[in-house]
Amino acid sequence: MSFEPIWGAPIAWYLFLAGLGGGAFVTSAFLRWRHPEAVNMRKAGHVIAPVVVMIGLVLLMVDAEAGLHNPLRFALLLHNPFSVMTWGVVFLAAFMVISLVVLVLDILKKHVPAWLEMAGVVFAVCVAMYTGALLGVCKTFPLWNNALLPILFLVSAMSAGAASVLFVAVFRHADEFNKAGVLKKFHFCLPLIEMVLVASLCFITSYNSTAGFESVMGLVAGDWALWFWLGLVLVGLVLPTALETWLLFFSSKEFEESKKAHIISAASDAGVLVGGFLLRYLVVMAALPVTFVM
Amino acid sequence: MARYGMLINTKKCIGCYACRTACQRQNDLLPNESFIKFHEFERGTYPHVTIEHVPTQCMHCVDAPCQAVCPTGATYTTEDGIVCVDHGRCIGCKYCMAACPYGARVHNEESGIVDKCRFCTVSALDGTEMCTCVTACPTGVRIFGDLDDPESEVSKQIAELNAQPIDGDLTNAKIFYVR
Repeated sequence: MSFEPIWGAPIAWYLFLAGLGGGAFVTSAFLRWRHPEAVNMRKAGHVIAPVVVMIGLVLLMVDAEAGLHNPLRFALLLHNPFSVMTWGVVFLAAFMVISLVVLVLDILKKHVPAWLEMAGVVFAVCVAMYTGALLGVCKTFPLWNNALLPILFLVSAMSAGAASVLFVAVFRHADEFNKAGVLKKFHFCLPLIEMVLVASLCFITSYNSTAGFESVMGLVAGDWALWFWLGLVLVGLVLPTALETWLLFFSSKEFEESKKAHIISAASDAGVLVGGFLLRYLVVMAALPVTFVM
Repeated sequence: MARYGMLINTKKCIGCYACRTACQRQNDLLPNESFIKFHEFERGTYPHVTIEHVPTQCMHCVDAPCQAVCPTGATYTTEDGIVCVDHGRCIGCKYCMAACPYGARVHNEESGIVDKCRFCTVSALDGTEMCTCVTACPTGVRIFGDLDDPESEVSKQIAELNAQPIDGDLTNAKIFYVR
């Protein structure tokens, strides 16, 4: 029996952009702590965070058609405190306010208080994880209904956020990029962790129910196999890992700071971003519901 | 206060879809929007084979997952146990569609609102002429009534035929099936 997915590409984009924004903000905070000299990179993260989350929110509103026709209804979103979507609205609202205030402080060349940045980090993590919990509480879909999804989305969000900041830095602030070694090493680890999480998700889900098995088969050997293997696994996870391994561990310092290495690094970051979107897209599209009548 | 529920006897169902079209007419639904879905199964082994038609719809669950996830409170349960959608509050986020284990929620393409069976037949209890799934069924598959009243037809038939919710105690459903 064929199943028409409930949500489509706009929601996948939203889940990706919300995570990306959270990740970019956390990356900026990390830079403040570990690479205080990389001021411009930090500012880049502060710009990316609210902008991409805002784009995501617009997509969300456009997708919620009945609300789009009657925008006042969005004010009702805080009505049910037990709905994960309501938590999401709270996290997103807090994150948007903080990240916009930080951005304004940056533009006015004023000091961003550490407590504000920390509060932003907390809500950034909440936003990234809630996107996983949002799907995770839907018992009908075994591919979503597991404890791994919020963690996977969190790791992917941090990975994509760091990639976006590094991508901008390569082209606009190469001097700072060359010195951000610790960030690069953390960023290198994230796709590795993600690989383990994706493998675990597929393996365990395929054993928990028939619908879980069918969903995973759809990913690894069915309709979504090409996107899964070429897009998510190869471009999104293996390629960035391979390129970064080469740059970080098997090349000289001179090469690492060369133009060519910068292009390779940018390609790796682009791969991470593509993988980040495809992860959300595939998880949203490939999930099949448990059969209730047979 | 009542606790309304329904019995669906699939042994009597011939799969004519009269309930579905009656529902669409009564509730003024779009041509591609239907609150009742049909599932068809081949039963038995040759030469003793039959086809079973199982009509499903909103089960008016006591533990309604759609209501639990609805962020705006558009989904609510009446005092009589009927799960309803307040169209004026629905933003069309489709979270209820993802949460419903029975695939009972339908998205209206014109309004964007997510809708479902309203147990509209409750209004026919006082004798009002209606065109519902219960009245339209030519073979008497459906019985609607108060589950709390042991003397109601639906309660008696559920007991007599040992009717069960479609998926056990999954959500405490108030539609009972004879299969």
